[in-house]
Amino acid sequence: MKHATITEATFIRDASLRSATKPRGRPLHRILVSFSAAYFTGALVTDLVYWQMPDVLWERFSIWLIAAGLVMAGLAAVAYAIDLAGGRQINRPAWPGVTGYALAVLLSLVNAFVHSRDGYTAVVPTGLMLSGIVIVVLLLTASVTVTLANRPRVGG
Amino acid sequence: MMQALRIAHSKKQSRLAVLLVAVAGLGLAGCDDSGGDPKIQIGANPELPQLQQYLMPPIRIAKVAGWGKDETPTVPQGLQVHALASGFEHPRSLYVLPNGDVLVVESNGPKAPISRPKDIITGWVQWFAGAKAKDANRITLLRDTKGDGVPELRTVFLDHLNSPFGVALVGNDLYVANTDAIVRFPYQDGQTSITAAGTKLTDLPGGPIDHHWTKSLLASPDGSKLYVGVGSNSNITENGIGAEYERAAIWEVDRASGAHRIFASGVRNPTGLAWEPESGKLWAVANERDEIGPDLVPDYLTSVQDGGFYGWPYSYYGQHLDPRVEPQRPDLVAKAIVPDYALSSHVAPLGVAMYTGTDLPANYRGGAFVGEHGSWDRTPLNGYKVVFVPFSGGRPSGPAQDVVTGFLDENNHAHGRPVGLAVDRSGGLLIADDVGNTVWRVSSAKPGSLTKPGT
Repeated sequence: MKHATITEATFIRDASLRSATKPRGRPLHRILVSFSAAYFTGALVTDLVYWQMPDVLWERFSIWLIAAGLVMAGLAAVAYAIDLAGGRQINRPAWPGVTGYALAVLLSLVNAFVHSRDGYTAVVPTGLMLSGIVIVVLLLTASVTVTLANRPRVGG
Repeated sequence: MMQALRIAHSKKQSRLAVLLVAVAGLGLAGCDDSGGDPKIQIGANPELPQLQQYLMPPIRIAKVAGWGKDETPTVPQGLQVHALASGFEHPRSLYVLPNGDVLVVESNGPKAPISRPKDIITGWVQWFAGAKAKDANRITLLRDTKGDGVPELRTVFLDHLNSPFGVALVGNDLYVANTDAIVRFPYQDGQTSITAAGTKLTDLPGGPIDHHWTKSLLASPDGSKLYVGVGSNSNITENGIGAEYERAAIWEVDRASGAHRIFASGVRNPTGLAWEPESGKLWAVANERDEIGPDLVPDYLTSVQDGGFYGWPYSYYGQHLDPRVEPQRPDLVAKAIVPDYALSSHVAPLGVAMYTGTDLPANYRGGAFVGEHGSWDRTPLNGYKVVFVPFSGGRPSGPAQDVVTGFLDENNHAHGRPVGLAVDRSGGLLIADDVGNTVWRVSSAKPGSLTKPGT
């Protein structure tokens, strides 16, 4: 729970100041965000396998993948805070990206609790649906972010 | 730029508010733990509410306080209770030898593997509840030759066992149910310690998971068979159905050959076995499943039918399906037996003793005492006491009565938690207390008895 709060709060505080520091290379938090997205995607895959073939092994893959994704999200928030404290100038509004990612992390946190149930209903149907929704949110967030990044900049 | 910041600031507040509401909602979802009156779940026809599944299952464990000097549990008028001995390491079960010596099994479960992040949290909870005591793996002998409730002799009877629980003596063969095997030791009347190596009679389902590790043990009256209560390897098959092979069952082991068959199955955790004195039938106490509500599923006391199936994991109390199990087994559910007597939900009965002694008042004769270790997942806490179920004609004949209470104080701190029970040679009821690390003895309050009431 704390993770989500920190993530959200941190992103919100500085979201309007984001980007524009390409010269120093890819910021660490974006790498970590990619990691968490990959973990959440993995969880959807293992959930789908479990749904088709309910062997407890797949459910365990899912919960560890979700947990790892949440840890990465927490680290991403910390890295983001450090980047900003280090004086990175970010001047492009990034609300869609931040909000979308925070929503995905929050849903994944709920999903971690669902996946901690015992037996079949740890995945089917609620856990599987949440895993799917998380990926949809992440995909939408990514596409909106890319669209915004390619849009000619207005103002400063 | 400034304006953008200001807008961002107000948006931030509204978003944070939304987030906080969401978080609070999550918290509330995890707090629906208030159970109903346990009394409506005692007896042959317990009320069973709709099952619910949690985001965060409630954890409501009693904080360990221990017993102060001269503090004891409470018993009704006409009875007295005192500590037979204390200073044990997690005493779990008791056995009385024919010469009156009392065996105290000091034991704890093997280290649980961490299969999921949840298991880390479960470990913390168990530590908090005083369930993470070191596994002494030993049986201590207490000898009270004068029968006054003050043992003159205390020796280490058997050491270097492996999470032992059940004990049974047949002739000169003493059987100890370790968590992974029944081991036979030679025993001579009056012996105070056994150093001989044991001989394995049969393997029992043990590690590496060994979720319910206690193996209760009871010899048949003619001594030819041993009955073993083998608990499930999970709450509700979350470790896979393959891990449940020959578990959640009562085994019948042939004493001569060590061969076994499944006497009854579908009993999630049969922690105590006893012969009902009037009918001569096998009875058991069992711990039912968790995490589907404060009032589900009631733990029970039941007669055990040969070949009977009692529902776990597919259903409970007959045909109430558990959606957490997939694939389901309608063929087994159809023949699932409804247990005889519900003890109410999450009381965790870990010991049963049919009272055949004569010391306690006549109304206790022929009935069953049940040691209720106490709940960890509901409000208000349930169990944490020893109850008495009256029997007549070989069947329970009335509501359960509280006999030994006071393990919990008014702040819900646990001074002790009752586990195994036994009736000693002079008819006193013995109670193992694995949090208070004491063995209590309950007897009739007689004028002129050597122990004063309440001490």
